[in-house]
Amino acid sequence: MLVQILNGLVYGGMLYVLSVGLVLIFGLRRVVNFAHGGLFMLGAYVGYAAYGIGGFWAAIVASIVVLGIFGIVLDRLVFRALQKQEPMVTVLVTFGLLMVLEDFVQSVWGKDLLTFTTPPSLSGTVAIGAVSFPVYRLVVIAAAVIVVGGLSAWLKLSRAGLYVRASSVDPVTTAMQGVDTEHLSALVVGVGAALAGLSGVIAAPLLALSPSMGSTILIESFIVVVTGGLGSFTGAFVAAMVIGQLHNLGVVFVPNIASMVPLILMVGVLIWRPAGLLGAKA
Amino acid sequence: MPAATVNRPMPRKRLSAFPFVLIAIAVFGCILPTAVNSPLLLTLLTSATINGILATAVGLLIRHSGLVSFGHAAFFGAAAYVMVLALERTGISVETVIIAAIVLPTICAFGLAFVMLRVSGVAFSMLTLAVAQACYELVMRWRELANGEDGLAVKLPNRVFGLAVGVFQRPDSMFLICWIILMIVLLGLWFLGRSHFGTLTLAIQDNEERARFIGYETTVPRAIIFALSAAVAATAGVLFSLYNGFVTPDTLHWTLSGDALIMAIIGGARSVWGPALGAVVFFFIRDAAGGYTEHWPALIGITLILVTVAMPTGLSGAFALVRTRFGGARNG
Amino acid sequence: MAETWSLEARGLTKRYGGFFALNGVSITLKRGEIRGLIGSNGAGKSTFMDVLSGRGSNLGGEVFLEGQNITPLSERARRRAGLARSFQKTNIFPELTVRQQVELAARAAEEDNSEDVLRELHLLQYADRKAADISYGDQRRVDLALALVGHPKVLLLDEPAAGLTMGESLALAHLLRDLAERWDLTVLLVEHDMEVIFSICSHITVLHLGQLLTEGTPGEVRANPEVVRAYLGSAAA
Repeated sequence: MLVQILNGLVYGGMLYVLSVGLVLIFGLRRVVNFAHGGLFMLGAYVGYAAYGIGGFWAAIVASIVVLGIFGIVLDRLVFRALQKQEPMVTVLVTFGLLMVLEDFVQSVWGKDLLTFTTPPSLSGTVAIGAVSFPVYRLVVIAAAVIVVGGLSAWLKLSRAGLYVRASSVDPVTTAMQGVDTEHLSALVVGVGAALAGLSGVIAAPLLALSPSMGSTILIESFIVVVTGGLGSFTGAFVAAMVIGQLHNLGVVFVPNIASMVPLILMVGVLIWRPAGLLGAKA
Repeated sequence: MPAATVNRPMPRKRLSAFPFVLIAIAVFGCILPTAVNSPLLLTLLTSATINGILATAVGLLIRHSGLVSFGHAAFFGAAAYVMVLALERTGISVETVIIAAIVLPTICAFGLAFVMLRVSGVAFSMLTLAVAQACYELVMRWRELANGEDGLAVKLPNRVFGLAVGVFQRPDSMFLICWIILMIVLLGLWFLGRSHFGTLTLAIQDNEERARFIGYETTVPRAIIFALSAAVAATAGVLFSLYNGFVTPDTLHWTLSGDALIMAIIGGARSVWGPALGAVVFFFIRDAAGGYTEHWPALIGITLILVTVAMPTGLSGAFALVRTRFGGARNG
Repeated sequence: MAETWSLEARGLTKRYGGFFALNGVSITLKRGEIRGLIGSNGAGKSTFMDVLSGRGSNLGGEVFLEGQNITPLSERARRRAGLARSFQKTNIFPELTVRQQVELAARAAEEDNSEDVLRELHLLQYADRKAADISYGDQRRVDLALALVGHPKVLLLDEPAAGLTMGESLALAHLLRDLAERWDLTVLLVEHDMEVIFSICSHITVLHLGQLLTEGTPGEVRANPEVVRAYLGSAAA
């Protein structure tokens, strides 16, 4: 049972790191990045390439840096350029981008599944009470904890974080108070994309690499942010943790309909609270 | 107001020509199989027509509710799987199964709408994608039910609606059937657009609060539109399974939803016939791309980006613009 | 019961957190009367209209329409029962033609006098234009038409003359008085323009800080020192 809960934490942590990027971008730009799964996938492949050159830690750094830069470019070329249009325009454009990214990765690395081996230094198991648990999975949990801690500290303590929180509650007023949203947005989308890259690379040893891995996990991260309430950081955290557990329990106990479990949770939450767990009233 | 002098009643008159133009196009389509002797082209046209019906469903939702679905494959694939599973596991007649394959997804959509309509437009889009992909995972994982990614053959009897089953599987005859159904759907949707209910849904899309204050309930009409749209998508799914004789999880995959959405966007969802036109264009581009189809997703992704940014009303919108030349008061 | 009021509100209260936007306001309107509702910004006029028409939920009090308790009814059911309203901030269907939306409203009210309404409000010439394409003043009249069509019993008008020129406002005021008389309407009118209020209202209700300050004929209200201090102030001087 303990192992199940830990596995749930692993998956939930990964989902959180991915989803919180969506929340960040939504908070500032009021749009949903449909290419986010593509960034996750790209992060895994960039990590795969860097791993061959410089090892596991190089892979992590490379993913974060490459995806962070990619995010800044994305903000300038897409989110900023389309900010005066209806949100759906950006959604469609990022959706198109998702297709392009998948095709790009497929052209470079091929369609076949690739395995990203767990680094030797982290490949053992550790005894927790009576059971043994892979060290690497604990590393994933630790990474998620670091992101949760780092992000909340950044949001609470830094000036930029304050603006991001303010903006995710009331973008118009925040912009009117002279906050440099343009500058902030590049930073936020960069951080969001870097987090997607990070989640991709840390997930890589646990999942097989394929160009479509991004669109698969994108679905669950969508469920996370809608269930948590679009734009709510705490909501995304709670939803990611719950869905991480449910995902795992579903796979173990009702494997056939595992994919429906998070969806059923979401339906329940939306009936109970239309704006999501911790979402502001629309 | 730049267009103050333009006489607006004009479009009304022109629109009423629509049924006649449609009938003319329908007749043209019907003589096409006799004129075209290329089975390859007819296969292409049949697929384009089936996908055109799916794209029409996506367009219907956009036009009447302003909601963008990234998951219409759910209804298409659900209909196809109802067909294949019911024919394999029950003794129900094929005609009843076909009706059930359209009705069941429609009812599900109606119920689901009451949950999904509680969220904003963008979140709604996210949910459509999530729901469809969950269905995809379901048939992939539950091998005992649907044989996973290998799919299932549709066990059709010899006669369907009194016609030999081969009629549904030869491109020339099946094209005719799909074409006529598409025309009936378009005509029906055109009437819907001019009906009181159609105007009400436009009003709700325009200003939901005011619609309540002039005395209308606003959730049920939107749920009905979603259900109608699902019914049209399911019809396409039924035609697909009849024609193909084989159903795989690809019928539920997000790339099919995405394709349908892209067809609707390319053709323009503001007119009834735009999405179907988009489907034809889509298939001809794909055919022309030929050797590049390896990179088809990227090609279509780039097309989507370009059309969304440069031509938001799609081909039908551009067409209407050229026709009227009174662009001043047009609203994006 | 001596008389059935056309519209009666008892003790309407609305609270946002600890702040009373409306605190126990009661009002009665006789059939066919045009009642003015005035008060400074934040007095609770729009909140009062919202609570009466069912926008949001009222925390306390009851609303009666011709003796029938409509408190539990939704905004939609209130409109169908004969309580219609217009909005301070133009609230119409920009993508529909003027005729389309007025006919839609008429159909909900199950009484199609949309052509009459279009004619009386001088909207016939724009009837087949998209509402987004007509001028602001014409849009204001479309908002009014949506409330007026289908012979409602009671009309709640929230600053129908907002943003109009002096001449347009007065013309609208006289049109309203004329229509109320001919179509047997009871009107509750919120208006900043005192000239409009004093020229067409037989009685005036004054709100101040969410409470009823006073009620009376235009003359009485004008002479009331509290009203002068709280609201009219320099405007009436």
